[in-house]
Amino acid sequence: MNRRVFLMGVAGATLGCTTGHERRLNVYNWENYVAASTLPDFEREFHCRVRYATYGSAEEMLAKVMSGNSGWDVVFPSNSFVEPMRQLDLLAPLDHTRLANLDNLSPLFRAPEWDPNLAFTVPYMHSATGIVYSKSVARPPVSWADLWTDSYSRRVTMLDDPAEVFAACLKQLPASINSGDDRELKLARDLGVQQKPLLRAYLNEEVRDQVVTGDVLAAQMWAQVAQVAIDNAPNLAFAFPSEGFALYADSCSILRESKHQDLAYEFLNYLLRPQVAAAIANEMRSATCNSAARELLPEAQRQNAVLYPPVDVLARGEWFRPLPTGVQRLRDRYWTEIKSA
Amino acid sequence: MRLRSIFLAPTALVMVLLFFVPLLIALAYSLLTRGPYGGVFPPWTIENYQRALDPLYLAILWRSVWLAAVSTALCLFMGFPLALYIARSARHKTLLLNLVMLPFWTSSLIRTYAWMFLLRDTGLVNTLLEGLHIVRAPLPLLFNDGAVVLGLVYGFLPFMVLPLYATLEKLDPALLDAAFDLGATPWVALRRVVVPLSKPGIAAGCVLVFIPCLGAYLTPDLMGGGKTVMLGNLVQSQFTTARDWPFGAAISLLLMLLVLLVARALAKQGEKLL
Amino acid sequence: MRRFLALYAGAAYLFLYLPLVVLGVFSFNSSKIATWRGFTFDWYRSVFHNAALFEGTMNSLIIALVATAVSTVIGTLAGYALWKKRAPWLTNALYMSLLAPEIIIGVSLLALFQWAFRFGHLRLGLHTVILAHISFSLVYVVIVILARLRTFDPALEEAASDLGANRWQVFRHVTIPLLMPAILAAGLLCFTVSFDDYVITSLVAGVDSETLPMMIYAMARKGISPEVNALSAMITVGLGVLVLLASRLERSR
Repeated sequence: MNRRVFLMGVAGATLGCTTGHERRLNVYNWENYVAASTLPDFEREFHCRVRYATYGSAEEMLAKVMSGNSGWDVVFPSNSFVEPMRQLDLLAPLDHTRLANLDNLSPLFRAPEWDPNLAFTVPYMHSATGIVYSKSVARPPVSWADLWTDSYSRRVTMLDDPAEVFAACLKQLPASINSGDDRELKLARDLGVQQKPLLRAYLNEEVRDQVVTGDVLAAQMWAQVAQVAIDNAPNLAFAFPSEGFALYADSCSILRESKHQDLAYEFLNYLLRPQVAAAIANEMRSATCNSAARELLPEAQRQNAVLYPPVDVLARGEWFRPLPTGVQRLRDRYWTEIKSA
Repeated sequence: MRLRSIFLAPTALVMVLLFFVPLLIALAYSLLTRGPYGGVFPPWTIENYQRALDPLYLAILWRSVWLAAVSTALCLFMGFPLALYIARSARHKTLLLNLVMLPFWTSSLIRTYAWMFLLRDTGLVNTLLEGLHIVRAPLPLLFNDGAVVLGLVYGFLPFMVLPLYATLEKLDPALLDAAFDLGATPWVALRRVVVPLSKPGIAAGCVLVFIPCLGAYLTPDLMGGGKTVMLGNLVQSQFTTARDWPFGAAISLLLMLLVLLVARALAKQGEKLL
Repeated sequence: MRRFLALYAGAAYLFLYLPLVVLGVFSFNSSKIATWRGFTFDWYRSVFHNAALFEGTMNSLIIALVATAVSTVIGTLAGYALWKKRAPWLTNALYMSLLAPEIIIGVSLLALFQWAFRFGHLRLGLHTVILAHISFSLVYVVIVILARLRTFDPALEEAASDLGANRWQVFRHVTIPLLMPAILAAGLLCFTVSFDDYVITSLVAGVDSETLPMMIYAMARKGISPEVNALSAMITVGLGVLVLLASRLERSR
């Protein structure tokens, strides 16, 4: 019975060994982070083939990569995952001499708090979490607390992400989004339970369509997705809550297990080119960490306050940090309590 | 005797290598401690099982069992007439059967999105109802338990229809004719002849629907708007956002043990399912 | 009663196909968001030019066909043997494989494969996915076959062996033909379970063995995506045509 399977496996393995005449690069990224032309142009210029797959959550990527034998070369961890991955010895230290375009990075991201020397990662795209809402509402939300009022006839959604929901609750206390204090977390949980009857649902990007059609009047949403919605329905607007909000950035990094490190460096360098990064940022409406690329964007995009908030707004933002095990367990328990309330 | 061993051997091999061994691995996981970023590490501990017996999680179990039971019952009532129709149709049996399965060869995720599109406030169903003046405001058809049941029934209907068909197909029409000759109405014939004879199919169908329903996570999450936690969601979240693999493994194993015990208790009373 | 059944069946099929109709209609929508903007074939064109999608579909088909073939054969044999004489440990094991949440199966299988790979230069790939699919689809086959065998008249087999056939001949020439509808039903169920599987597949698939559900999930995470709708419409129509052809062939035989 298993003979057929075994033979197929052998055939597959030998096939895998013999297609080495063309260079290969395996890239594992978030969705919506490359433009249509990015990969074909890279393949053409460097005479190689790129295997590109996407993931929807950093945990998914980490689960696959943790074994140290996943087959991927380049991955894009979010900022709160960089330290954990470094501790698990998954990331290859970066040789800056092979990354000539590193200077194109915006000053904000030259020494980020999660990787001050850019020893393992190169910041790629950043975003924030705020509130996308329909301008037709009587009371435009300006703070998280507004989502706790009954002003939107229950047509409010929050993200189905414990970190994000806790961030919104903690900011109202006020407390840090990375708080590990049990008292603060309990208060945040109570806020979450309070809000639940006012909510329509906990939804991630899939709520975008419903915001556009008006089913949902206000939603906690990531800035990039909100911008796409606004492009499709000009009666929408985005607000950075007054109490503060979460910031996050995704960075490229090379896995230590990678067998194609040369090509990986070329790829990272390629992504740092102003034209390439600008093309991606423009097509995908993502906010690039590359200031040279930002110069190349059309005026409307370059000054877009949703994607590139002004400094005073940015000051209210806080980066996610990795949390210790005990805190994670507390948060998960409280999240389950909110969800089953 | 030897023939029987040969027949059993391949399946036994597969189950031992690809089920028992991973099960042991899962057991090992459940007795270890979570790593700070996922994965498992020593020390060995039973605290995951102790945590699982918390009332919070027992409430989730109860809710999941209830929703799964309702969905299974609905599936049975909806699937039985369909299976009967296919089994008794003269010419196009395979075609009709294939047509039942065909929708399920497209991703269940996008079919769930299609249902969300149909059922939401500005969706087709509500627009129709409002247009025909049957209701004045949109009905909340989505993001509640009813929507979850709908999603589950829709997603598992073929798993009910196929086993039912497999037993109904061989039902001897002479038995039904005899019943009619004796003066039974179609209803009575159905109740007292067809249903009892198709008990194995009913049992098989219920098993194939109820159990995956307990572990379902995507449909309840999307159709229920993430507002309720079912067992499937709980386990899924342990392996994703909560990154607590040992706890996830413990819950899964407890769930499996529980259903196994219940099934064996039932089997001792009535007909065995397997 | 026949008319009632036929009407009911019609309504049931409508219920089953309603989401597909919605998807089909929106695959011609010229807007990426779910409000109707205009008619277009663009999405179909982009699907055809998407080599990765084609590869994913091929992967899914290969995996599903191989896994179904293997599972159906060994599952039928096992079901028959279990009908003759029970083996509680095996039936309990099959039962539990149905019961286990997909993610724990996936994570454990991944751990098993990664450990096994230390003894060879193997990686995750199509073969690991096929093995995983066989392991979780076996139970479906056994359940369907056993359900059918319960209403099977043993006298038929006895008659054959009285006429001088040995056990294997009885099985091959008497039992199997009578079991055919159930075997086909089981195979169909297997194929469906395998073709649509996401959780386990995504965990044990290698870099080069991305399947269609994995790609669809990636593309559709944001909500209805017209490209995905176009792809699904094509799959449905394509498989539908195959199904019609198969029934034609079967009837003309």
